[in-house]
Amino acid sequence: MFEPNADWTAQARENIGAALTQAQATLGNRVIVQPDVVGEAAQIQADYMALFSAIAGSVINYQFFVGNRLPTKVRDNRAGAFEWTMGPGVSAIPGASDADYALFIYTEDHYGSTGRKVLQILAAVSVGVAVQTGLHKGYAGLVDLRTGNLLWLNADMAMGGEVRTPEGAQRRVAQLLEDFPGRRPVQAAGAR
Amino acid sequence: MNGRLSVTAVSLLLAVAAPAQTENLAVPPYQGVYEPQGVDERGLWMEADETERSARDSGLLIRDQTLNDYVRSVLCRTVGDDRCRNVRIYILRIPSFNATMFPNGMMTVWSGLLLRCRTEAELASVLGHEFAHFERRHTVNRFRRTRTATDILAWSALIGAVTAQPSNTDLLVIGGLFRFNRDQEREADVLGLAYLTRSTYRPQGASEIWVRMMGEVDASALGRAQRSRRYDRAPFFATHPTELERATYLRSLAGPDIAGRADNAEAYAAAMRPWTRIFLEDQVRLNDFGGTEFVLAQSAGNRWTADLLFARGELYRMRGNPRDLVNAADFYRQSITQDDGRPEAFRGLGLALMRARSTEEGKAALRRYLELKPDAPDAPMIRALVDQAF
Repeated sequence: MFEPNADWTAQARENIGAALTQAQATLGNRVIVQPDVVGEAAQIQADYMALFSAIAGSVINYQFFVGNRLPTKVRDNRAGAFEWTMGPGVSAIPGASDADYALFIYTEDHYGSTGRKVLQILAAVSVGVAVQTGLHKGYAGLVDLRTGNLLWLNADMAMGGEVRTPEGAQRRVAQLLEDFPGRRPVQAAGAR
Repeated sequence: MNGRLSVTAVSLLLAVAAPAQTENLAVPPYQGVYEPQGVDERGLWMEADETERSARDSGLLIRDQTLNDYVRSVLCRTVGDDRCRNVRIYILRIPSFNATMFPNGMMTVWSGLLLRCRTEAELASVLGHEFAHFERRHTVNRFRRTRTATDILAWSALIGAVTAQPSNTDLLVIGGLFRFNRDQEREADVLGLAYLTRSTYRPQGASEIWVRMMGEVDASALGRAQRSRRYDRAPFFATHPTELERATYLRSLAGPDIAGRADNAEAYAAAMRPWTRIFLEDQVRLNDFGGTEFVLAQSAGNRWTADLLFARGELYRMRGNPRDLVNAADFYRQSITQDDGRPEAFRGLGLALMRARSTEEGKAALRRYLELKPDAPDAPMIRALVDQAF
């Protein structure tokens, strides 16, 4: 059962924010944080966040798993095509006028309690049943704000980096931004 | 481990022996603003805050100030201004009979609920019930109870696998969890009725809603050629008491001496009038012929308005059996007799008639539609239909 923890979430949010600021030097771009918005602009933003997570889910399901290609995309993808778009409407995202690209980042972590880990080990040694004790997934995507095309997506359903600590968050951000296009060949601190 | 399991079993037996039916209609003194305590509660509030942010920016949210003010005023009149102050209401365009309460004071009211209520007092009873969940902090209690239950289930599954002993602990624990949920609902029903009794509303509406819901569930099942639910006892996995049980105890709790109080049916109808078309449109699209017929008939009472007749025409035209098309055309005509300014009624009439092989009459109605709404999104398609020779 998932139990939300407000302190961990606040900590992780702060750590990842700091790690991103630190990592931006390696991205070969100037990174600005999206402005906080209200009213209609907030609605547009919420809509595009939802659209992005739907597209990212499709890319992960249908592009990254070769055997799982959508029937309409089988032929194109054989040639290594990466064709996904959010549509030119992305230029309406608040803050888009000041930027060329949008970077979307998503990360979700669940940590198992001690009791759950004891159960996992006992279940594994006694009856050989695997018990899940956590969830560490994340993805990052880059979108061209003029065309809405998805240029790059990196996803991992089992990520490293303990985001509740600053060092772990740096490692997580480094993993998320691995192979970022146009990135300078500098290893971020803590990355392995 | 054994000690823990037997304690659970005992408490389950007690729960069976003493169902939560304390008929005490006193409203407890209000505790004022509350801040979440401990890890569990703060975590749940954080999640609720996140949900609230997305509700605020959601495309489903109805932002109309007049409607929001009205629903809020009903809540305030029900639970009192001091309690009301801690609640933010979000009216969502979802065509189901529901409202939800979050631990941080966020309440969602679904458009399907607004369509089904007939009086202000009925709406008040649902809002009061939801507020009672908030005042009793039901979310965190249910969360803790669920965690205990899933812990027991995980361990007992392991022990069962190791010892290969059959056990009925799981059934007891799962059953107990759902029963706990039903007890919370009962508690919220009783406290909700206490608010109503203290307010100026007629409390009998609380029970009448559930009687109508049974009618709708039956009608919906009949329309889908399915067997309806039984209401005499709650199924094992039911999260709420049955509609019959709720209708019965709410009726017995509602004081007969205050049955003559106002239920503000006219004020309610006036507040909903600008929204009826939209709510009906969503309801018709649910593809629930029996249930929708029931809702329409209940809303109509003895007066079928132009909006209700139009919705009924759409419902029949969408089912589209030859006999339905005849009825649909009839409903559209009656709707037009009352109000001939709605282009979509002519569109529906025309399409129904053309499918029922009354081509010329159908074309005439479609032409009228194009006259009334020349820039309709489907105008080119309808024009092609009109120009086509049959």
